Amino acid sequence: MFSWFGRVSFVPYSKVQDFAVHLRNGYLMGTRCKKCGFQTFPPRADCPECMSDEFEFVEYSGKGKVWTYTRIDAAPTGFDDDVPYTCVVVELEGGGRLLAWSGETLPQDEVKIDMDVQVVPRILEETPDLRVCYTVEQPGATWHKAPEPHLG
Amino acid sequence: MSRVGVIGIGHGVFGRRSDATVQELAFEAFRSAMVDADIGRDDLDASVIAAVPEYHKQRSVAGVVQEYLNLNPKPTWLTEVACSSGSAAIRTGWMAIQSGLHDVVAVIGCQKMTELGTADILALMGRVGEVQWESVFGTTFPGYYAMFATRHMHDFGTKRENLLQVAIKNHYYGARNPNALFQKEITLEKALAADPVASPFNVYDCCANADGAACIILASEEKAKAMAKDKDKVVWLDGVGCATASMSVLKRPNLTGVPSASDAASQAYRQAGVSAKDIKVAEVHDCFTIAELMAYEDLGFCEKGQGGKYIEEEKPYIGKGGVAVNVDGGLKAKGHPIGATGVSMAYEICRQLRGECGERQVPNADVGLTHNVGGIGQYCFVHVFKNS
Amino acid sequence: MDLGLKGKGAIVTGGGQGIGAAIARALGKEGCNVAVIDFKHHTEATKVAEEVGAAGGKGIAIEADVTSYADAEKTVQAVIEELGRLDIMVCNAGITMDGVLLKMTEKQWDQVINVNLKGYFNYNKAAALHFKEMKYGKIVNISSINGMRGKFAQANYAASKGGTIAMSKSLAKELGRFNVNVNVVAPGMVLTDMMRSVPQEFQASALAETVLGRFATPEDCGNLVAFLCSDMSKHITGEVIKIDGGQYI
Repeated sequence: MFSWFGRVSFVPYSKVQDFAVHLRNGYLMGTRCKKCGFQTFPPRADCPECMSDEFEFVEYSGKGKVWTYTRIDAAPTGFDDDVPYTCVVVELEGGGRLLAWSGETLPQDEVKIDMDVQVVPRILEETPDLRVCYTVEQPGATWHKAPEPHLG
Repeated sequence: MSRVGVIGIGHGVFGRRSDATVQELAFEAFRSAMVDADIGRDDLDASVIAAVPEYHKQRSVAGVVQEYLNLNPKPTWLTEVACSSGSAAIRTGWMAIQSGLHDVVAVIGCQKMTELGTADILALMGRVGEVQWESVFGTTFPGYYAMFATRHMHDFGTKRENLLQVAIKNHYYGARNPNALFQKEITLEKALAADPVASPFNVYDCCANADGAACIILASEEKAKAMAKDKDKVVWLDGVGCATASMSVLKRPNLTGVPSASDAASQAYRQAGVSAKDIKVAEVHDCFTIAELMAYEDLGFCEKGQGGKYIEEEKPYIGKGGVAVNVDGGLKAKGHPIGATGVSMAYEICRQLRGECGERQVPNADVGLTHNVGGIGQYCFVHVFKNS
Repeated sequence: MDLGLKGKGAIVTGGGQGIGAAIARALGKEGCNVAVIDFKHHTEATKVAEEVGAAGGKGIAIEADVTSYADAEKTVQAVIEELGRLDIMVCNAGITMDGVLLKMTEKQWDQVINVNLKGYFNYNKAAALHFKEMKYGKIVNISSINGMRGKFAQANYAASKGGTIAMSKSLAKELGRFNVNVNVVAPGMVLTDMMRSVPQEFQASALAETVLGRFATPEDCGNLVAFLCSDMSKHITGEVIKIDGGQYI
């Protein structure tokens, strides 16, 4: 369910909602258009190039470089207890970019533009409901992937 | 193509207007514009209203404003493109006139930002960006522009002080503008010591929410010449540029400029038959200090990457050999009632081109420009005005 | 039914005798590798480990005091290294120090709670930290029907067994997202050494409580636990299954 994704959720449904199921199992997925091959992250169901709606998920390594970042001190609703947190935009190996927080292995004041990083899928431990996201860690960070889920 | 002229302008006081509803604010600006144009409601064919609806308790704001202005049954509709709603309304009025459908159109930008409670406003704050992939990580409006600043400082060596120099300039001029929210100048020491918002920004890098309204009356060339109280005071809207860029920062080509701004500017310049060198006075979208600094570059006032140097050398002040930018205080000192800002910018440029700005008058102001950005640049409208 | 436990790694605390030993044997019979943890019965635990080895899996015996979290953490790590993996955590180590509350000493209370409940916390947490990373795990905590209905002269034991149920349900809610099942087995009277020390008249009245007219064998418990440690029961979590012959319906 896409509502699992993010530290909060604004989007309960999406044509790419299996992204969240894959992420829970430790797979970072982008999408590729089956018709013309256009590949992108974040995933999207409709090809911006050829307009086809036939897509498939394709796994990303999560390796990347820091493109830009900011440490947020004044938070919006739902994030009051989390400040300060640092939002990092990562340019991904394989194309595309993502935005996530710097994680435990990457102290906020050590984030630098162009540094190599590793995006790691996460299941949050302390929320009552199931939440998945990813964090930006030092290169070489590892995680375990569960066997591919049955998507029903 | 025939021209579209501005025959009347009006502006209300921006601030925390707990004394008025959005339609009452709209009326302040509308009345001043109608008096300035010396016309009656019967001379108007239609209105276009700019407001960002989600901040109001009243749903479908355009309806209640049209009624209060006593413009029923004339046509109206709302234009909304975040902070550039005001300019979108101007472009729409311009299009209506150029199509021949209407001859005289009142454009009203009106906004309350303080009607909702803090919790609701903070919730809205967190949904400025792309909500599926970014807002779920607590991104904020200042946070986005802060990411631009981080990159700009890295790529071009722009200094922290350069950002605050923009705020200092705008507060200098805001103190000389009775319609502005903030009436005091600020110092670099005070600015550097302010509370952090999103690195590298502190409170002084960020514009403030405000309530307010502004209004301009557009007319076809023929009607403008026939109706204008003083034909020399008609200001011509000769360039209307508009472009979009991705909503998501993840899809931008770079984060050191606003691509929709440079695209919209080249359209407007071409249409008006001018270039950046011809612009004497400009109102640019300084929602955050870096935004104005990037505007100097995106609009061609200086070279790419040289925005820091431009403000450090005080070029955007009046009479310093550059383009006078935001000499009414900009969003920073006026406050930013998001639906009204675009029209407020047009109001200031028209006053400058008419020579009515007193101590804030830019000498020989014959060609002016407004640069109105929506959100983090997913929309941008650039308008070029001339006084002859 | 193939439980699919071949080659997996399991820890059973209190595995030297009684229900614990039966659990270890049941897992071993399925080809599971088992680490048998015991404190008082290390010699017996070593024997159980050998039996596991003979049945097809790898068996090791570790002498450890369950009341120390630091020891639990070290033990879990040592097991992962020796067995190569850990998929299953069965907490079974428990003691009784019976007496009416009016006469119960602090020591009687503290020791029973410490071994039976704190000991479960220690091993549940140490195992859960590993299961979370692996996105897979089975935790089975042995409770008792006395933890559900209370028992005369067993306020301390009943508290520890009732607490086990509440703790396990909470843990099931926390660990479900990591694909970890947490369940409780609550036996009634079981034919073990602990039971043999219970006076005759109490045994008789307990027998009368059952509707099946018999007590559970340790093997009955072992079978149920093995089922709950397998993917055959992968959709069961946060559950309490009594195995009491109908003693407490």
